[in-house]
Amino acid sequence: MTTRTRRDLLGLAFISPWLIGFLAFTAWPFLRSIQLSFTRYDILRSPKWVGLANYQSLLADDETFRHATWLTLKFAAISVPLAIVAGVALALLLNANIKGISVYRTLFFLPSIVPTVATTAIFVWILNPQIGLVNSLLGAVGIQGPAWLTDPNWALWSLMMMGLWGVGNSMVIYLAGLKDIPAYLYEASIVDGASPVQRLFKITLPMLTPVIFFNLVMGVIGALQYFTQAYIMTSGGPGDSTRFYALYLFDRAWRYSDMGYASAMAWLLFLAVAALTFGLFKTQKRWVHYAS
Amino acid sequence: MRLRQVARTCILILGIVCVAWIFCNPSTTAKEVSGRKYPGRIPVRFWHMWSAEWKEVVDRIVDKYNKSQHKYEVIALSVPGGADTKFILGAMGGDPPDVMAQWNAVIPTWAEGNMLTPFEDLMSPSERAKFERESYPIVRRVGQYKGKTYGFPIGLQVKGVFYLPKAFADAGIREFPRTWEELIADSNRMTLRDSKGNIKRLGFLPGSWPETAPLFGGGMYNFRSDRLDISNTRNLATIQSLVALRRRDGFDQIQRFQSGLNTSSYGGGWPFMSGAYAAAVDGPWRVEQIAKYAPNLEYATALIPPPVGGIAGAGLGGGNFMIVPRSARQKEGAWDFVKYWSGLTDPLTAAQFYVWGGWLPPSDAVAHAPIYQEYIRKHPQFGTFVRAISSPNIQAQPPVAYQVFVNDTAGKIEDQALRGEISPEQAVDRLQSSVGREIARRKRLGYDE
Repeated sequence: MTTRTRRDLLGLAFISPWLIGFLAFTAWPFLRSIQLSFTRYDILRSPKWVGLANYQSLLADDETFRHATWLTLKFAAISVPLAIVAGVALALLLNANIKGISVYRTLFFLPSIVPTVATTAIFVWILNPQIGLVNSLLGAVGIQGPAWLTDPNWALWSLMMMGLWGVGNSMVIYLAGLKDIPAYLYEASIVDGASPVQRLFKITLPMLTPVIFFNLVMGVIGALQYFTQAYIMTSGGPGDSTRFYALYLFDRAWRYSDMGYASAMAWLLFLAVAALTFGLFKTQKRWVHYAS
Repeated sequence: MRLRQVARTCILILGIVCVAWIFCNPSTTAKEVSGRKYPGRIPVRFWHMWSAEWKEVVDRIVDKYNKSQHKYEVIALSVPGGADTKFILGAMGGDPPDVMAQWNAVIPTWAEGNMLTPFEDLMSPSERAKFERESYPIVRRVGQYKGKTYGFPIGLQVKGVFYLPKAFADAGIREFPRTWEELIADSNRMTLRDSKGNIKRLGFLPGSWPETAPLFGGGMYNFRSDRLDISNTRNLATIQSLVALRRRDGFDQIQRFQSGLNTSSYGGGWPFMSGAYAAAVDGPWRVEQIAKYAPNLEYATALIPPPVGGIAGAGLGGGNFMIVPRSARQKEGAWDFVKYWSGLTDPLTAAQFYVWGGWLPPSDAVAHAPIYQEYIRKHPQFGTFVRAISSPNIQAQPPVAYQVFVNDTAGKIEDQALRGEISPEQAVDRLQSSVGREIARRKRLGYDE
């Protein structure tokens, strides 16, 4: 055995706990779900081959599937850009050289390290229409706030608004991106007489586009798989106003014991995420600027 | 520099030792699981979904059973969250409990999936005859699927009206209404609002659409023709009435009022106890909760009055049922425990359990036990539910494998109708078409039903 082979084997041995876990709990279920998506499988009995019937039902007959898909796309289309704008704006503010800036940065980052379930539980109270903090503040200025989570017209927007709570996570990445922009670009632009707004749009944002692109891709993937908050706060309601794709998939799999159908849904979601990510990568040549 | 390296190495070794100790220490989980009171007996693993004060009752029953005989030891495990999923995974992995207490809604689905043992396989002929002779009609309707008993009742549920006599008296109402229409009209006089129109006390909180429909002569399933029957005029009349009531009291106001109330099923959290409702439809277990957490509350109970031309003593029954997985290891022990709890072995002893939990018994044999009768005398409000459960007009939920889907869809559509998003007619049509599509989908996929 050569030294190189021995070294490779040693490396593999060190990462084998992860490798085994990945193969057993990610790769195998992933591949197996392809097969299951072509079966009728209620968990209780062996899968039965049904060909494309699950896909046909989903695409042709299932109104809830169509609704959940549309709702999830709408959520992604609004919440992802919103989070990017908020994250960049916050990073720009926290990039300023003022006293105590590290304290502000910590404060804005803190919410993103609170567990999602804990945050969600707190927001259930904050958004309570009768005794919640938001409506109490609105009431103090004479506005009767809506029933945030129990009104179908507001529930989706409430979840989007709540999503901004965790913007500190991407803010840190934007901040790192801002620090990476060479100072000489700003110095040269100041010498050339560029205004602060011009510097923002001609230097800062273009130089930040690789980071924005990264957050956009991750944000789209996350939004299409949105689950935890809706599961805890609204369970898809009121009505179907927050029945996101992943929530419906979960219900089909575990509530209605329809694992074959849920597997088909999972694969359609995977293909959609892959297509959207591919599409975003295709567009990056036009708007993402790499310093190199 | 060298000293720092030595320190690092020491910390690393210490860390590895700590991790190894945590994983290898025999005094952690393994010991807790094997910490049995009666190690010489045959273990019977029992899963249930109760927690908090109900878990204490279950533990008392299990303890009493274990002391009552010398062959089996029932080991109870509370799985209040995600119990269905855990049970399915346990059964799939070949390691299910021997017996589990479950809501009736899962029985058809799991029975259809060949996951449950029919109790006919466990009962002796005499036990079977006794069960069929003594149990209430609703017990057999709910626990059976395609003619076989897959769920054995341990606690039934039927809804009635809890009300505050003082609220009625203050509104000038001398006796509890005899018809649904009277109750709806009277409730308007009992609803209290503040100067801004916000509700401070709601006059009447009705039950759900499927729970109320039997009073109107409706229901989601026709047991005579053995098929779903959603799109009928009685179901339409029910949802029309519920929507009219909600519209009168204000969609938005009720929503706001309720969102400020405690929704916990446990302890003293039920809003009726704090006077939030003058009358509310709820289940018999509330009697025991009120006795514990609001002993000074002056309240009464009544059967839900039917509408004019409706059916008296009608309602929707359900409850907690014992199930035995097909792959259970200790079916005999499971059956022995089920018999003991349900009162098939000894109704006089079992009556005590139903008193502890404030549960409805599965048969008159338990209901007529002196200790149970004493409980009803002490809590006359409970007697309403005992009368209700024995009624032949109590309906079961649709015994179909997609019952959970039907319930979820009905709840969702009822919610939309109560908010005024869709009309009652649209609600009936939408439920019919949604369930119809689901049936068609299942047929295309080759399910039996």
